[in-house]
Amino acid sequence: MERSDTLQEKMEQNGMSRRTFIKYCASLASLMALPPSAAYAMAEALGKAKRPSVIWLPFQECTGCTESITRSHSPSIEGMIFDMISLDYQETLMAAAGHQAEEALHAAMKENYGKYVLIIDGSVATGLDGAYSCIAGRSNLESLKEAAKGAAAIIALGSCASFGGIPKANPNPTGAVAVSDIIKDKPIVNIPGCPPIPVVITGVLAQFLTFGTLPELDKLGRPKAVFGETIHDRCYRRPFYDQGKFAKTFDDEGARQGWCLFELGCKGPVTYNACATTKWNDSTSFPIESGHGCIGCSEPDFWDAGGFYKALSMPADPLKMAATAAVAGAAVGVAISFANRAKKGAAKSAHETTKLEDLEK
Amino acid sequence: MPSIDQIPISIVSPDEMLTGQAEAVLTEIAGMLKHLLDEGIEGSIDLRGLALSGADRVWLEKQLGLGEVEIMLEAGGRSVLTETAYPGVWKVMHRDDRDRVVAELIEVAFVPAIIRPATGDVKKGYKSLLLNLKAKTAGA
Repeated sequence: MERSDTLQEKMEQNGMSRRTFIKYCASLASLMALPPSAAYAMAEALGKAKRPSVIWLPFQECTGCTESITRSHSPSIEGMIFDMISLDYQETLMAAAGHQAEEALHAAMKENYGKYVLIIDGSVATGLDGAYSCIAGRSNLESLKEAAKGAAAIIALGSCASFGGIPKANPNPTGAVAVSDIIKDKPIVNIPGCPPIPVVITGVLAQFLTFGTLPELDKLGRPKAVFGETIHDRCYRRPFYDQGKFAKTFDDEGARQGWCLFELGCKGPVTYNACATTKWNDSTSFPIESGHGCIGCSEPDFWDAGGFYKALSMPADPLKMAATAAVAGAAVGVAISFANRAKKGAAKSAHETTKLEDLEK
Repeated sequence: MPSIDQIPISIVSPDEMLTGQAEAVLTEIAGMLKHLLDEGIEGSIDLRGLALSGADRVWLEKQLGLGEVEIMLEAGGRSVLTETAYPGVWKVMHRDDRDRVVAELIEVAFVPAIIRPATGDVKKGYKSLLLNLKAKTAGA
């Protein structure tokens, strides 16, 4: 398969008809919140586009993002990505290994210098000059800087690459940072999520190929079409929130009736993602529909946001509140005691000893 | 004075509520039909991009009704294009080969564009048919 083949030629060789391609473009246009009429423009432009080189570098990651995107075994929206692009380097999927793989990487970078799309998943370790995460004897930090030089655009795939993710969780032993903390001179699209919704990356690539531009991004560099609304905005349980009907435990009557999970720690109101509409596992469900609150995995520092089961209305860190109060002039000790009064009272009546660890929960 | 728990609340399931959006969609369709008649410009509405409730969908379905034409398209999965009671207004449901809905649209057009074959496809078909006829003649 020559990379000089257009997508249309590739389609025909795979027995895909023009109408199938138009259907595919219609679904992509819908995902990217483009006008439905853009589907035909997209089909025409994509059909003439040459397959772009894509280089995928995995850094400090769990491979969940790769798993998310490759869990499709039939010609589907997610699977189309591999027909649309020339995936020149991807360690989990490529057959080559060792020196051959490294040679393939450098050859692809040289041949397509200035034109390839660079996908990064995983955070970048910066501690000990990046020694915490190395591939082929080179730190990810060094590899990123080298690969970014020749990239036309960079896609930071998953919350780790977008914001640092779980490796960055307190105390961040490896000095994990986001791609955008290192690279400042290339267009970067953040597609966060732990993992991200698979079809989003296809939509971003399709838009790049069709219009030669990246989609409109929000202040955190995320495509607005997908991350423009909160989970709360599109949640089917929203009417229950509006009516003040909340589940108090995971197995009470409210939970059985499908009431709002706000009091059980749902982070939907502060989480921007498309899970409530696009859903997961072939549009089967999403966490809230399965009875568990949103954990906010597409937001920065979601792992340190105060607990998955603590309602948003409760203070996440009473010690932090105390620090703020001190700045405002209140005594630190008084501020802490206000935050912990209920807990200490309950412990006293239950004849338990309150430990510092209890207060920090 | 009654407590907050004593204030009666009528809990309405999300699927039973009309949000008003369906009526807005119908108005938009009317505008698109006028555009089609006056200037020949086609339009479409992505139903999956709208936060329509279950009741909204039922209401819209009832308002649009059914026309005379239903087209089944087998291309990477089954698609169904159904003319509504208003000629030129089509309900379009695209599914992939795993029967997942990939797009749900209202298209306003004389004939939805996906139905018309491309000129290139017709040319290829013509050449293929000529070869077929030639082979039959040679075989006879």
